[in-house]
Amino acid sequence: MDILQQISEQIDLGDDEKVYELTATAIEQKIPVKRILEEGLLDGMNIVGKKFKEHDIFLPEVLMAAKAMNAGMELIKPLLLSGNIPMKAKVVLGTVRGDLHDIGKNLVGVMLKGAGFEVIDLGNDVSPEKFIETAKREGAQFIGMSTLLTTTMPVMKEVIELLRIENLEGKIKTLVGGAAVSKSYAEEIGATAYCYDGSNAVEYLNSVI
Amino acid sequence: MKKITLHFSIKEITPDREVVFESQGINEGRNVPEKISDLYDYSLSVFQKDIEPKAIRQEITIPEFSEIFQGNGDNDENTPVQHIFSLADSLELFAFTLGQNISDTISGLFSSKDFALAYMLDSIASASTDKAASIAEQYSKESAKTLLYSPGYCGWHINGQKQLFKKLKPERIGISLSDQFLMIPLKSISGVLITGKKEIHTFDNDFTFCAQCKTFSCIARQEHLLY
Ligand code: B12
Repeated sequence: MDILQQISEQIDLGDDEKVYELTATAIEQKIPVKRILEEGLLDGMNIVGKKFKEHDIFLPEVLMAAKAMNAGMELIKPLLLSGNIPMKAKVVLGTVRGDLHDIGKNLVGVMLKGAGFEVIDLGNDVSPEKFIETAKREGAQFIGMSTLLTTTMPVMKEVIELLRIENLEGKIKTLVGGAAVSKSYAEEIGATAYCYDGSNAVEYLNSVI
Repeated sequence: MKKITLHFSIKEITPDREVVFESQGINEGRNVPEKISDLYDYSLSVFQKDIEPKAIRQEITIPEFSEIFQGNGDNDENTPVQHIFSLADSLELFAFTLGQNISDTISGLFSSKDFALAYMLDSIASASTDKAASIAEQYSKESAKTLLYSPGYCGWHINGQKQLFKKLKPERIGISLSDQFLMIPLKSISGVLITGKKEIHTFDNDFTFCAQCKTFSCIARQEHLLY
């Protein structure tokens, strides 16, 4: 079995140490980094994603696979950067100002990274200004916002209004999610999309990029 | 009236495995792979090491609670709680926390990319908080039933916590309230324990806010009451 296939298989098995070793070997063998990413790491996560969708595996197994993928990513990230090899798209992600719930947002981040998106995670309690400054500075195409509380939902609207004021509406798209949010609320505030979980966010982003 | 600080043993607030698995999307009857089972066992040991469970309760009269419930006047016009508490035999304000350590551990695990462990630990902690609430509900007398009702549920505005905190002072067990009515530590709950005849706790879930509810916990609670 070729080494890229082995990487993919070890991701599926959730073995982070093996993925790290195999990725290091692949780099030593001068396999183009883009191939290591696409045919090794992303291929593994793709298989895992499909199995999850078909209910063959459970979420903890997806998260173990994501940890394994991450071990490989750590090694190839500097090479991707120095080789100017872009990821699929950049997403600035955070829990909005006033809210500290971040488990859901973290899971979405894991899923997006696993699908080949670059995620800039701003953590929780993120101000509208910080979302927008970061997205502009990083050249991100998407801002993903999370909240579980009704009291902090209006912050999402503030972000969208600020984007409008800065003439960035449409250029930087907004994704919203979290227990407090619904499809109709997303429509009401003019968010580009509402996603009910991480896999749904991956599906949505893949369909629009 | 007297405030009672309660201590829960770690064992009694350790949630059932099935409940935790269900919140991870692993429904009863499905085969749990060994690596998930091992992950659960390990998470449980971290959980039991990291939590510092504390609770506080305080008896309160119906008129006193009525004032707290009014809060800032932001509740829904019609709520089940307003009908229930006026028929109660007794009322107690209640708050519970698992402490800050567990949340810090969960965040640390996410940062160090231990996603599965972090999420399993989070699910255990959330389920444990729910279990603490059901233990508090068991302190009731035999002929009556106690249930916990919380701000942020069933039309009781989440900012109702401000009045509740003013009276109960959960700061004494280490819980503070943010400007946006978020309790810190995160794994905390607050509310009123309403004790009364079983029938006072039943209601139809056709209030305006029910349409947006994703929780449906009222239905499960009522089923428990009847059977
Ligand atoms: C577990 C839980 C708790 C736990 C722990 C909370 C925690 N997360 O740490 C405990 C029991 C401690 C708790 C306490 C309280 N809770 Co609570 N809790 C929940 C519950 C049942 C699940 C939340 C959760 O952890 N879900 C698991 C994670 C993984 O899911 P998630 O965050 O939603 O994220 C997923 C999706 O939403 C989506 N997503 C999330 N963000 C984003 C972002 C983007 C960009 C995208 C695309 C997708 C996306 O993808 C994620 C992954 O699948 C929700 C109800 C619900 N159904 O969501 C109520 C809920 C959040 N709680 C609620 C309330 C009111 C409270 C309390 C105030 C009650 C009280 N008075 O005691 C307290 C407050 C605690 C505090 N510290 O202030 C309310 C909030 C309502 C409101 N008015 O704002 C809810 C909505 C329940 C309800 N009433 O319907 N809670």
